Amino acid sequence: MRPRTRWTYLILITVMAMVAAACGDDEGEGTTTLGATATTLTPSTTEGATETTAATETTAASGEPIRVGSTLALTGVFAPTAAIHKATGEVFVERINASGGLLGRPIEWILLDDESAPDLAAAAYERLITEDEVDLVLGPYGTGNITAAMAVAQRYGYVFPHHTASLTYAYTYECHFSSWSTGLHPNITNPNLLYDALESTGTPPETIGFVVNEFPGTMFISYGQPETEEGGAVTEAEKRGWEVVLDVTYPIATSDWGPLAAQVRDADPDFLYIAGLGVDAPNLITAMQAIDYSPDGMFVQWPAPGPLLGTEGADGIMSVTIFEEHPPFTDDPEAVEVAGMIDATLAESGVPYAKVETQAAASWTAWEYLQQAAEGAGSLDQQAMCDWLIDNGAQTLFHGDIEFFPDQQNYFEDLSKIKQVQDGEWYTVYPEEFAAPDRSVAFSPGG
Amino acid sequence: MELLAQGIVSGILVGGLYALMSIGISLSWGALKIINLAHFSFILLSAYIVYQLTVSFEVDPLLMVLVVAPLFFLVGVLVQMFFHLAKVDEFKSLIITFGLFIIFQSAMQTIWSADFRRIGPVLNPYETQSFFVGGIAFQLPQLVAFVVALLIAGGMWLTFTRTYFGKAVRAVAQDPEMARAFGIDSRRVAVILSGLSTAFSALAGVFIAIGQTMFPELAVAWFGIIFPIVILGGLGNSLGTLTAGVIIGVAAGVSSVLWGPLSAPLVTFTILIVALLFRPEGLITKRSIA
Repeated sequence: MRPRTRWTYLILITVMAMVAAACGDDEGEGTTTLGATATTLTPSTTEGATETTAATETTAASGEPIRVGSTLALTGVFAPTAAIHKATGEVFVERINASGGLLGRPIEWILLDDESAPDLAAAAYERLITEDEVDLVLGPYGTGNITAAMAVAQRYGYVFPHHTASLTYAYTYECHFSSWSTGLHPNITNPNLLYDALESTGTPPETIGFVVNEFPGTMFISYGQPETEEGGAVTEAEKRGWEVVLDVTYPIATSDWGPLAAQVRDADPDFLYIAGLGVDAPNLITAMQAIDYSPDGMFVQWPAPGPLLGTEGADGIMSVTIFEEHPPFTDDPEAVEVAGMIDATLAESGVPYAKVETQAAASWTAWEYLQQAAEGAGSLDQQAMCDWLIDNGAQTLFHGDIEFFPDQQNYFEDLSKIKQVQDGEWYTVYPEEFAAPDRSVAFSPGG
Repeated sequence: MELLAQGIVSGILVGGLYALMSIGISLSWGALKIINLAHFSFILLSAYIVYQLTVSFEVDPLLMVLVVAPLFFLVGVLVQMFFHLAKVDEFKSLIITFGLFIIFQSAMQTIWSADFRRIGPVLNPYETQSFFVGGIAFQLPQLVAFVVALLIAGGMWLTFTRTYFGKAVRAVAQDPEMARAFGIDSRRVAVILSGLSTAFSALAGVFIAIGQTMFPELAVAWFGIIFPIVILGGLGNSLGTLTAGVIIGVAAGVSSVLWGPLSAPLVTFTILIVALLFRPEGLITKRSIA
């Protein structure tokens, strides 16, 4: 081989090795890889556990660890939100192991990176169940990934607690348990909760505009289940006699928000319903501000909460929530304690908006399902755990007591609340019994 | 009518930003035969650096041009020197620069986490500033980006057609061996051009930081925009790249306001395919490098 060719291949191999190292996990012993990253998490004795230690170093529980397997989008487009679930899980594992473990045994969380890809999530759960032989599983983050993973759990008969999966109608597995309190028909209940909130002001909108991300979950909320007459946010608005002056769908990876902003300005609705995700709302609001336009009222379905707070023109925007760090939610001292631990872990991991809200609350609740199912059944038998949950429900920190309805595909009622950005912070404003002190829905057409 | 006009204006201006993002990779591909996928991560990395310096030192983000442009010129120089060392050709460049892209993505996620980053309105008053002509908004960040793209495209065209360096670049692009035989230091030319290409990408990053919310995966979304512009404009053709950027931007903007945003990718790629059927070498070829 010629020296220059040898040198070329050597460099190429070095670069490939660097790529592999960059994609690999360096958090500690016992790591293996699937896709990009695998992490074995057990609690350390320090707060905000992010380090990996061996199970035998814990002091509160003993014996062979109970291995809980799951994936999260540690990389990829879902990573910003998955970081919240990772932090929440770390705190839960630390806390439960410090208080005697599960069935007297410590929990060991086997966490794989599904890279935000449903196919990798499914493969990861196959591996977790068949090769790693985990005792329990917990769902990943993201509707697509949860849907893919649920099929695997169903095939092997594993109890499948999961958090924010939006295609509620699709989940018919008898042992799936959602911790996102949307109910089975969020396409009806969520929008009506918002519309009730608007009507509670005494000055509801007369015109409403919809901009809808083509993501399946937001399409479901806006238009209902495909090939049914059920409808969603758009038809529910029409039922209230509000004129729908704009109804436009945009691609998931929209980068130029100018044309959409111009369409909204042209339609000039009293209220703008942004059926969007992540940073859709800040991007659209900024684009509307740039053309000197701002709707009188706005709602965004599932935003990344932090970026909105720093967006000019976002004051007054509403969204849905499960929990916010203010009374009456913080009347429970345990909720305050847990939220504080999660906040600290989020801050340590560099998440800019280090506060517990919907995602962290749903994540914590899913872990509670797993814990209570095992403790209630007195074993790790999947069917026994499943039956126990269905028969007894769950007592959760952030949702209260929950009852699962098999005829509603194990969904419970929609316990969502409406929150609003006021004075630069998120506050729950509706229903009134959950509103932050001295806060109420602020909306008035025409300013 | 105003809606259509706004769509056209927004499309032209955003097309300028797209062109600014594309010029670097077009020059690299056309002149150096390097398909540098790492350009996408250079744009994003520049945006993150602008974000970090702006937030940490509370300075005007536009001033960061003075920091990132020379910094990334050096980066481009070093990268090209590495390519020389590794005897990277067009095919190998795809593999190696994809590896660099992954490395930079991981580094950015490690440093800034996977969460969203945006310069707030206090430090970034530009993001919502516009001036209006008859009700049509000209957004300031995009307008400045368009002007910068115009200056760069025009400047590079003049350079390639009026200067010895430009002639040297064209000679190296056509036949590096023959260029060397005529006394042109092809390595030096390549290094300088690579530095310029990467600096141009860094300039695009400044406007990304001003106008968008950043997260590590953002660069992936640009592949579907930048490559059509690069191909449509002709490899190494800076004016062609600007033209293509405007065409793509206007097509996407007009189709969005007329038929909804979902139609924009369909229209964009239809234009690309039809254009390549009739002009496979790109829209403007008379002044291409190669």
